[in-house]
Amino acid sequence: MALCTEEEQSEDYLFKVVLIGDSAVGKSNLLARFARDEFYPNSKSTIGVEFQTQKMDINGKEVKAQIWDTAGQERFRAVTSAYYRGAVGALLVYDISRRQTFDDIGRWLNELHTHSDMNVVTILVGNKSDLKDLREVSTAEGKALAEAQGLFFIETSALDSSNVAAAFQTVVIEIYNILSRKVIQTQELKKEDPAWMGSGKTIVLHDGNQEVDGQAKKGGCC
Amino acid sequence: MCTRFFIRNSTAEELDSRFAVRPEYQGDVPKTHFKPRVRKTLSARRWKVALSQDGHVDIAGVLKRIQKGVEFICYCLIFYVQLFSYSVFIHQSKGLFGSSCWVALIPTALSMNEMSSGNGGGSSMKHGRQNVERWYPIIGSGKFITTPISTDDGQPINDPSTYSDLGDDSEAMSTNDAGLDKNVTQWKLGLHQIGLDVIRTDRALIFYESEANQTKLWNVLAIYAWVDNSIGYVQGMNDICSPMVILMENEADAFWCFERAMRRLRENFRSNAHSIGVQSQLSTLAGIMKAVDPKLHQHLEELNGGEYLFALRMLMVLFRRELSFVDALYLWEVMWAMEYNPNIFTLYEMSRSRSNVGADKNVASNIDSKLLKQYGKFERKIIETGQTEQKSPLAVFLVASVLETKNKRLLTEAKGPDDVVEIVGDITAHLDVKKALNDALNIQEKYLSKASASL
Repeated sequence: MALCTEEEQSEDYLFKVVLIGDSAVGKSNLLARFARDEFYPNSKSTIGVEFQTQKMDINGKEVKAQIWDTAGQERFRAVTSAYYRGAVGALLVYDISRRQTFDDIGRWLNELHTHSDMNVVTILVGNKSDLKDLREVSTAEGKALAEAQGLFFIETSALDSSNVAAAFQTVVIEIYNILSRKVIQTQELKKEDPAWMGSGKTIVLHDGNQEVDGQAKKGGCC
Repeated sequence: MCTRFFIRNSTAEELDSRFAVRPEYQGDVPKTHFKPRVRKTLSARRWKVALSQDGHVDIAGVLKRIQKGVEFICYCLIFYVQLFSYSVFIHQSKGLFGSSCWVALIPTALSMNEMSSGNGGGSSMKHGRQNVERWYPIIGSGKFITTPISTDDGQPINDPSTYSDLGDDSEAMSTNDAGLDKNVTQWKLGLHQIGLDVIRTDRALIFYESEANQTKLWNVLAIYAWVDNSIGYVQGMNDICSPMVILMENEADAFWCFERAMRRLRENFRSNAHSIGVQSQLSTLAGIMKAVDPKLHQHLEELNGGEYLFALRMLMVLFRRELSFVDALYLWEVMWAMEYNPNIFTLYEMSRSRSNVGADKNVASNIDSKLLKQYGKFERKIIETGQTEQKSPLAVFLVASVLETKNKRLLTEAKGPDDVVEIVGDITAHLDVKKALNDALNIQEKYLSKASASL
C-alpha cells in the first residue's frame, strides 16, 4: 500500500491518448509493443475497448500515458465515441499495405473531431512498414495527408518495433510541451482528482497552436 | 436418418486434439483448468447412450446429470450445441440441412421466421442459389475475402489480386449490382470485415491453420449476417461461432448451431449510432451491483461513470477471452444448462427478439414440483420466487461474481478505469469456472430476495 501511495505522489501528469483506425491495422500490437515490448502474431480483434497505462519520463517529470485501444469496426462507434471524451492525444493508424485503411482516415478524423476537443494532439501512423513488398500507400502520400490536416506523421512497424516508441512519444511530448507553455498550475492531473474523468475535458488546449507545431516538427519524427 | 450431426466418437484425448494449440503459441493462451474425470465426465460411450435412434439427445436425462453435479459432460461439448439445435430437429423439415449445397439455400428472401417454421423450401431454394451466385460467387468457392468488394454506394470494387484465381466466377463480380436492394449492398460491405476477423480468430489453434477451416467459419458468419440482416456481422460473433465450426464437422450443422446460440445472444450485437445492445446488459449489471454491493458499485460508478463498459467484452463473447478454449466451452455448457427452461423451444419459436430466454409466466403460475425439477438451477430460482420479469441472463450475474471476488482490490487499489480493467483482467487464466458459477447463483439469490423485499 505504502508503495502505491508513493507512486501516486510521483505522478505529475496523466494524459489520455486514444488509438483509432480501421480494423486490423495493428492498433493493439502497436500498444503491446510500446507498453510491453511484445508482439502477438496470434492477436485477436479488440472488442469494445482495452487499455494500458505507460509511464514515460519527460524532462525529469514522470508522465503517465493512459492509452485507450479501441475496436476498429464501425459498429462499435457508439461505445468507442464515449472513449474520446477527455482525450488529449490520438494515434490515427492505417495499414500501409491496405489502401482502404488510408482512404478511411478522413472518416476517423471526423469522428475524432466530433467527439473530442479540436486540439487533440494527433499523429498519423502508417503501420506495418515491414511489409515493403505489399506497400499500397507511399510514405509521400502519408506525409502529404498529414500536412494537409495538420497532423504529425510517422511510419511504424509493431512487428520489428521501428518507430513505435517514437510515435507515442511524439504525441506525449507535444502534449507536455503545450501544457508547459500554458503553465496550467491548477490543472495538474493527479489521479486522485476526480475531475480528470467523465467531465469531458481533461486538459483544455486552447488555441490552434497544435497545427503550427505539427507542421513545423513533422520532419523530425520519422 | 440416424445421427444427423457428424460427431466424432472420440476419446477425451482425441477431442482435446481438436482444440490443440500450435506449439509456438503455447505460452500465449490461458491454461485450461478443466480436466476430464473418470465417471464425472461423460464418456463417448455414455454419450452415445444419451442419443436417441434418430440422433436426438435425451435432453432431460442429460440435464438431470449435469444438475446433480454427478456427471459434467464437459468434453461432450456438443451437448449445448444440441440443446440449441433440438428445435431445429423438431421444427425444420427434414433434409433442410446436411445438404451439400446448403449455402445456396440461405440467402433467399426468407426471413428467419419462415426459415424456422420449415416452410421455406421448394422453389425459393433454387432461386436463392441463383441469387447468391450472382451476388457473390465466392460463397461456396472455398475461398473468402478480406478486402472490400463494394463501395459505400454499392458499386463493385474489382481487385484483380483478390479474384484472379476465381476463374469464370469473377465475371459475376463485375456485373452491375445497382439493381439489387440495399440489403445486399449492406451485406457486401461487411463481408471483408468478417474475413479480417476470421484470420484472427483462435489462430493459436492448429485447427485454423487450415484455410478450409477458416473458410468454413467465414461462410457461416457471412450467411448469418445475411439471414439476420438487422444485426448483420459484429466483431465478437466470430468468437461465439468458432467453437461451433470446430465441433460440427458439417458446415450446415455449424450454421444452425450458431444460429440457435445467437437467438439468446443476438440482442447484444444490435447496434446503431447511439448504442450497442450489450449496454442493456451492462445497465442490468449496474443494477445488480447496486443491490448486492452498493459500496463497490458506488466506487465503480465514480471511476467509470457507472457504465460498466469494462465488462462489455466478457458479456459479448461470454468469457472467451478470459478463459482457455476448453474452459470457455465448459462454462457455456454449464451456464446454459443452468438457464435451461423446458419451454425453451416454444419460447424460441414464439419470439426470437428476446436476447435471453427468461421464464414463461404462463408456466410459472401452475407449475408443479416435478416440472420445476426440470428447470436449470438459475431458471428455477426465478420461477420459485415468481420474479419472472427478471430477464437478465446468468452471464450478467457471473460478471457480478467476478467483480465480487475482486471486491477488496477494486476498493483499495483502483483509482482509475485502467486500474479496474487491470484488476478485473487478473482473472484471465485464474478463473475457477465452477466456483464462479456457484457464486453467481448466490448473487442471483441475494438479488432476487432484495428485489422481492423492495416490492
